[in-house]
Amino acid sequence: MKQVLEKLSASFEIEDIVYQRDDLTFLSAKKENLINLITHLRDIEGFSHFVLLSCVDWIEDDKFQLTYFLNKPEEKYDLGIRCMIDRKEASMDSAHHLWKQIATYQREIKEMFGVDFPGSPGVDEPFILEGWDNIPPMRRDFDTKQYSADTFFPRERPKTNDPKEYMKEQMHPGEWGEYRKEKK
Amino acid sequence: MSLKDTLIPFKAWGNLVKKPVTLKDPMREGAPRYRGFHKNDVDTCIGCGSCEAICENEAIVMVPAEGIETKDGDSGLRPLVDYGRCCWCGLCVDVCTTGSLSLSNEHTWICEDPEELKYIPGIDKKPWDEKEEGWKKPVPNYHFYGQERVSMEEMEAEERGDSFIEFVKGYSKEQAQKEADRCVECGICVATCPAHMGIPEYIKAIRNDDIEEGMRVLYETNPLPEICGRICTHKCEDVCSVGHEGDPLSIRWLKRYIADQVPSDKYKEILDTQKIYKGDKKIALIGAGPASLSAAYYLSLLGHNCTIFEKLDKAGGMMRYGIPEYRLPYDQIDKDVKYIESLGTEIIYNTNVDAAKFMELKENYDVVYVGTGLHLGRSTAIPGSDHEHVFQSIDLLREITEGKEIMVPEKVVVIGGGNVAMDITRSIARLQKIKYGKVGVITTSLEKEEVMPADREEVVEAREEGSIINPGWGPKSIEIEDGKIKGLHVVRCLSIFDETGRFNPSLDEDDKNFFEADMIVESIGQGMDISYLPEELKEKIEFGPRGRINVDDYFQTSLDWLFAGGDMIQGPDVIHGIANGHKAAIGIDNFLNKK
Repeated sequence: MKQVLEKLSASFEIEDIVYQRDDLTFLSAKKENLINLITHLRDIEGFSHFVLLSCVDWIEDDKFQLTYFLNKPEEKYDLGIRCMIDRKEASMDSAHHLWKQIATYQREIKEMFGVDFPGSPGVDEPFILEGWDNIPPMRRDFDTKQYSADTFFPRERPKTNDPKEYMKEQMHPGEWGEYRKEKK
Repeated sequence: MSLKDTLIPFKAWGNLVKKPVTLKDPMREGAPRYRGFHKNDVDTCIGCGSCEAICENEAIVMVPAEGIETKDGDSGLRPLVDYGRCCWCGLCVDVCTTGSLSLSNEHTWICEDPEELKYIPGIDKKPWDEKEEGWKKPVPNYHFYGQERVSMEEMEAEERGDSFIEFVKGYSKEQAQKEADRCVECGICVATCPAHMGIPEYIKAIRNDDIEEGMRVLYETNPLPEICGRICTHKCEDVCSVGHEGDPLSIRWLKRYIADQVPSDKYKEILDTQKIYKGDKKIALIGAGPASLSAAYYLSLLGHNCTIFEKLDKAGGMMRYGIPEYRLPYDQIDKDVKYIESLGTEIIYNTNVDAAKFMELKENYDVVYVGTGLHLGRSTAIPGSDHEHVFQSIDLLREITEGKEIMVPEKVVVIGGGNVAMDITRSIARLQKIKYGKVGVITTSLEKEEVMPADREEVVEAREEGSIINPGWGPKSIEIEDGKIKGLHVVRCLSIFDETGRFNPSLDEDDKNFFEADMIVESIGQGMDISYLPEELKEKIEFGPRGRINVDDYFQTSLDWLFAGGDMIQGPDVIHGIANGHKAAIGIDNFLNKK
């Protein structure tokens, strides 16, 4: 597999190859090369099976990471191809023409992260969130707690104790800061 | 309605004899690493609350638990998990500082009332408490915070061995921030620090690169940060929660880092003490050690006029005259002391307070505070210990500070296993290195290596510098030939305390040893000298066990105008002195207000 990837790395500008296990490798590719790369892997290198597509929100870097998992059945070999895309106006070329089922993953990512895949069948239809009226919920700037408080009935949290304050109460009550505040 | 329509509902009855497609209770067992309900080893747990802090769902609250006592290093709280909120992510297990928390692979629990779905793992017994399977913190090398402390740059032993220059170099900004980043901010250390310093707060200030805030936090409870940042006994580090699975935070060096960053002329501005109110009450403090300095600092902030009377010609007490310069440089003591003086405290040097002077102070001041420490060395009283070349460590350390020349022969034996013994061992080793180019000190203590009272690093560093530390021996006699000391006879010490916990060493007289020496230094503890108290007062003052003066929580003695603190009351160490002085300042202020 090393030979194959080394051969490809020049023509597809592959970077950061990590040989994680004997049957699993990760690599990074640029957005503009990605579709060509996975097409080549499918048609020439035998990675005929599409496993999954996932997304990570790197909000600090202003990027989304898409990871395409492909499998080569003859060698039982997995390949994870990472691709960083801009977080603002996030969009990626659709790959549904290569594997029909990718459309479903792309529809889910559109709903959960707001990454668009123009031309992907049904990409704008709700996946599981019917009537959703907020920013995509898997984006890290989505405030789950606030959403929950606004949407559902409140449930009070049991009373908690700060270890430091509790120990003070138990072991050394009264202190300078408070004494001086009273004096002032 | 046709016959078919009439019969359709009855067709459903046929399902009764079919094999059900649903799972039966008990359901399928979770996978071996399945994340199910919590387990907690409550004896290992210290209630640091890191699990609560990391929980995004606020599913964990810290509550007092039956049978768990609040004590040093243990808040007495234990996590209660609310399964109306928990999402079984397992972060609480992964962050756990002691590794006590885990998840079982049990995942079914059926009850009608959602409020019942919460419990204190390990305290409220559950059927899955003994289950081995489930999610545990992956070990080793899986930690959310650094396990190793940022190492402190020090001079190498060869370089420092013949010099009294400070050899611990102090953290750089990058090092301090990296070290500060390991703190989980649980605050378990605060109760153990005698002065109850705001440790998590000043560590946070370092992380935020806000040195001024750090200074304010330090001075809230400790007016000698340069000193404490170097030589504090750092009891806080012994209970640091991060220390359970890695190195404890380097709290002492972080404190030093803050104080080192601020030049003296910035203190008043940062600490907002450019203008302080001064009233008409006068307090006399005897002895310019940490207890008096600390009391004077806080009393000045409360508007009182303080005068410290010091027997020697410089301030600092045991910090200057007991601790060698290579651990605590004199200019750092001066920095802390000068700031206290700048707030109006006057220090009168070279003034020995005797009974007559003491009565004069009583007449002229509203309150007298004594912090005269422990400056009388204790003798082993073994045969030969009255020889003129048997010295007390505390006397030698003082003479070295004063610049006097002390006797430095080629072979010296030090008796004692505490920090003072290490101080004199290392000081003599340096003087020998300067004089003879080689070290010849043997230090021996009753205590075995594991229970020597000295700080571990002191023992390690003393050895690095060439001294021999040979613990676990009881001194028997000093051999003297033709008026000269030949050495020390010792026998193996088996135990120090008897079953009742009293000091009563048990010795194996058959296991003997002999350490050659031209001079012996005794360093087995110090006593207080309160000969300055007039006899008529001594009768009125209450004394407690072992001859210590009885004081209340605010260090007031049985005579309401007399307060006492520092080594003679509690300790001995600097941080207790500082804490005593602080508390006494509050006590004195209260007393003066009532007057």
